Amino acid sequence: MTSPEKVSEQPIGNLTVIGVRHHSPACAGLVREAIERLRPAHVLIEGPSDMNDRIGEFLLGHELPVAVFTSVRDGMTARGSWSPFCEYSPEWVALTDGTRAGAEVRFIDLPAWDPAFLTLTNRYADAELRFTQVVADLCRQFGMDNLDSLWDHLAEIEASDTPAAELTERLNTYFDLVRTASDADRAEPAPDEPTSDEIRERYMARWISAALRQSPDRPVLVVCGGFHRPALLRLAASYPYAEWPTPTPIDAESAVSYLVPYSFKRLDAFDGYQSGMPSPEYYQRLWDLGPRAAATALTEEVVQRLRKRKQRVSTADLIAARVTGEGLAAVRGHRHPARADLLDGLVSALVEEALDQPLPWTGRRALAPGTHPAVVEMVAALSGDQVGRLHADTPLPPLVHDAEAELERHGLTGQNSVTLDLTVADERDASRLLHRLRVLRIPGYDRVSGPDPAAEDSTFTEEWRITAEQDRLAALIEAGGYGPTVELAATARLGEHVRSGGGLEVSARALFDAVLCGIEDLSAEVLTALAMSVGGGKEVEPLGEVLAAVLGLWRHDRLLDAQQSATLGTVIVVAVDRLLWLVESAPGSPGSPAQPRRIAAVRAVRDAMRHAASRLGLDPVRALEVMARIADNAEAGADMRGAAFGFGWSLGSPSSDAERTIRAAGTPASLGDWLSGLFALAREQCLQEASVLPVLNDLVTAMTDRDVLVALPALRQAFAYFPPRERETIAGQVLRLYGVEGSARSLVRGGADDPIALARGRELDSHVQAVLEREGLLR
Amino acid sequence: MTAKHTAGTAATDPAASPDRGPDSDRGPDSDGKRVQRPAAEVRYAAELARLRADDQGERPPGWGLSLRAARRFILGDEQAGISRKFVGDPSLIDRALVSLATSRGLMLVGEPGTAKSLLSELLAAAVSGDSTLTIQGGAATTEDQIKYSWNYALLVAEGPSTKSLVPAPLYRGMTEGRVVRFEEITRCPLEVQDCLLSPLSDRVLAVPELSGEDALVFAREGFNVIATANTRDRGVNEMSAALKRRFNFETVFAITDFATELALVEQEATHLLQGSGVTVPPRRDVLEVLVTAFRELRDGKTDRGDAMERLSSVMSTAEAVAVAHAVGLRGWFLRGDAGTAADIVECLAGTAAKDNSEDLAKLRTYLEQHAQRRKGDQWQELYDSRHRLPG
Repeated sequence: MTSPEKVSEQPIGNLTVIGVRHHSPACAGLVREAIERLRPAHVLIEGPSDMNDRIGEFLLGHELPVAVFTSVRDGMTARGSWSPFCEYSPEWVALTDGTRAGAEVRFIDLPAWDPAFLTLTNRYADAELRFTQVVADLCRQFGMDNLDSLWDHLAEIEASDTPAAELTERLNTYFDLVRTASDADRAEPAPDEPTSDEIRERYMARWISAALRQSPDRPVLVVCGGFHRPALLRLAASYPYAEWPTPTPIDAESAVSYLVPYSFKRLDAFDGYQSGMPSPEYYQRLWDLGPRAAATALTEEVVQRLRKRKQRVSTADLIAARVTGEGLAAVRGHRHPARADLLDGLVSALVEEALDQPLPWTGRRALAPGTHPAVVEMVAALSGDQVGRLHADTPLPPLVHDAEAELERHGLTGQNSVTLDLTVADERDASRLLHRLRVLRIPGYDRVSGPDPAAEDSTFTEEWRITAEQDRLAALIEAGGYGPTVELAATARLGEHVRSGGGLEVSARALFDAVLCGIEDLSAEVLTALAMSVGGGKEVEPLGEVLAAVLGLWRHDRLLDAQQSATLGTVIVVAVDRLLWLVESAPGSPGSPAQPRRIAAVRAVRDAMRHAASRLGLDPVRALEVMARIADNAEAGADMRGAAFGFGWSLGSPSSDAERTIRAAGTPASLGDWLSGLFALAREQCLQEASVLPVLNDLVTAMTDRDVLVALPALRQAFAYFPPRERETIAGQVLRLYGVEGSARSLVRGGADDPIALARGRELDSHVQAVLEREGLLR
Repeated sequence: MTAKHTAGTAATDPAASPDRGPDSDRGPDSDGKRVQRPAAEVRYAAELARLRADDQGERPPGWGLSLRAARRFILGDEQAGISRKFVGDPSLIDRALVSLATSRGLMLVGEPGTAKSLLSELLAAAVSGDSTLTIQGGAATTEDQIKYSWNYALLVAEGPSTKSLVPAPLYRGMTEGRVVRFEEITRCPLEVQDCLLSPLSDRVLAVPELSGEDALVFAREGFNVIATANTRDRGVNEMSAALKRRFNFETVFAITDFATELALVEQEATHLLQGSGVTVPPRRDVLEVLVTAFRELRDGKTDRGDAMERLSSVMSTAEAVAVAHAVGLRGWFLRGDAGTAADIVECLAGTAAKDNSEDLAKLRTYLEQHAQRRKGDQWQELYDSRHRLPG
């Protein structure tokens, strides 16, 4: 194990390794100073080495932020990894200043397709976040909330007033400490298996070793994450390699890297292990203007944003914010207000009520729903909305070429409108392509008509209108950030859509879009988000409809190839769980009439239990318990009690006491509603069980005339759940009960065939309608 | 001893144990008996003295400690032997202290059981060395109890004078330059709350019965107000916008870190159980299940990230301690063991769901839907005991 003291004891004469925190202006300043002072022969940067041949692309003169986007596809899985750069990134400064100083500039880290990056979507995430214990201890010692405020305290806030050597020393101490602690942590479980960090470090050290041997007398400058610095120093000293490492072969089906325009919003949106420095706008200003001017400018920005939203911000509030910010800086020992001081001062002065969510900057959290609007604006102001733009000569992302080629292949270029028959494989593929473009929001592709997976009856043809839109190319380039091919990009786009929240409706739409696009392998993360939004549904009826539609697709769909899809399976599981809870917690009220949509939701749960329980691991015992409780719950709506009883019966649980249950079902007013629920779920059982009809007959016979009138509409609705043929069977049984021989069919039809009676009925109806309208009782 | 003073987000509260505090100088009262719960400045007298002695920083006028020393007093400093007294974001303490040093009052809001009162006590002890100038808000609180009242015998005999005036906490805080605590301010009627307006904005209190110099009491340096309010009580009484403007609001949240909360619950429950004559400590795996369940029911989200129903009753750390205590008691006195997950179910119905049938249904769903999926004997037992919920 290397202790921090040992590392600094064995310097290699001409090697300087600057350990940085990615996207730290303080570290960028150190890099700038070092390049000026050393005039190095080589500048080696932690970055994707597959871009070394294309370093020129970085220097064309883009508007930052930009990122190297690498997409990797391997079999069914696709992943993307970003290496973002902004003006104050130490890596960017090393790249541009190094080139200007005449150094040979190289990226030395593994390409993002290497397995070491399997779980890393942001190359420049904070490595120390993976070792939370050390960081937590340090924060505790310094009395800081989290890594970000600790870092500002250690590095950013006094960077401009501290000599470079002193700051370097301080940061090296910090990183050595983190590294030592994390090495100690990891020494125990599997010391032989190298971690992804170690694999990357060995690779980077080979580049350093080669540079040192190629220029033994001239300075070599390495810019890498501070977490890697101790290991790189140690490894480089012992490595004998004189040659640049050969590029690692692509360990995947396909992998491409492209420069894409990036934005501060996306830079700030990484969270968890992927997150780096937050609040890019703040650090941009810090880099441009220094800490004091940055604080002033952003206070102004926050106030302007709030006033634009018609929030009252008085001069007194501003003074209070300023005073509190300065006070906090003093308490925390800062010469100038740091990011957290600024935000804390603003929140103290501007928020005059209890918060529903903790302040996002106290815990490195993403903004949670319910965050105070003023806090949202503060975070947004410090996050900024700068968007990068690539220079016109930048090679286009492959998505643009892929889209062109695919359109050509399906004969869709130059068309104005197209009609596709989805039962033909080729045309189905064309439809998928168009759907993918639509999902990517490429303008000019509109579906005029076609099947809707959520609807019951569907057509098999689809009609599209294709128009030549001016910003089609721009949109394609932007969508290029989502992936190199239309399929991958659409997958990523859908995933983003699901993760953005927006509730059941958005998720259901995204799900059906996925089916229409023929996208099956949504990532686990997206599935979780999808499950969460379905699991957060608050109403029985829409959730029931989603479940029914999804279950239908999952069981039967061949047209769109969605049968047995894992995505749909996840949704089924979550929707069933959620519906069981919703139905039990809000089972209607005793007096409410039967609601077919609510009953249909229970039926959807039953169908899921019947057809998917074993394959998806649903728990029928729990479902039966829930339903048994509802069936016995006197406070529940009659239709739900009936449906709950039918649920158990149709799954074969309680059948013996059907007769008693029906007798106890309810008063004439609620009998029909109860039966609606029962028939909707256990129609067949009711027909098979010989005792059902006599019992019902008893109940109806025992009613007074008035009771019959009260019960009739609901009873009628209930029996509508039987198709005509079964109604005829029932009629036959009723006739037999009374010992009458005759045509059951004529009984079912009743007088409905008589045109005169029908006309008279209509006339009466319209008269009633007219009277009601006249009296203002109906609109 | 009520749960109010034993848990919440309090870290080590030695008041909970007469023999355990870091300060050994807490002698018996004059009559030879220990008080149940001495004030913070008495409990931590030695720490405060030590901090005062080493304090190099600038003190705001009228303060007993510098801001940085006050911060160390509350957040703790292992090297200097200062105990950690409050678990939570350090920045909350920073903001609270800076608010107190400015011309605005400090309003601590949050769910019940998040240790707001403890925090206000610690802040007052740190700033003024005295946390006893306390007004307890309630429906029956009157201005007399806040500002001043009269000794009526003297008033009748001698007329109004400073001699016949009986100072209440606000009057004393202003004349002595100390921090005044106002607990549960929103439980007071609106018009009573508003008597704080001029003391907070103009730093002056009018005594119209007196004349001359005595008719106006100007606040000495060091005076400020710390108020606390429950977010659940918002419906009882609102606060006027005028008064809100004179306070900086700080929301105190439940403990965000699982390990911290677990450690706190374990520590407090062990102590309470000792006090109740239970000799076995609570089982850690049972406490883990308990704390996890509390956190999930409080946040409406499981560890895996599934959304679920939040309980409407308070699922504070203090309640978790109360349940852990009850579980231990059941186990020990009914069977002679340390308590099991089955006991949690029985205790939850009474403490968590109280008399709310909706919460009971949510609790049942939680047990059915989430407990079953977890690995571990105690989770299984929790699931198997779901039928013990009443109803």
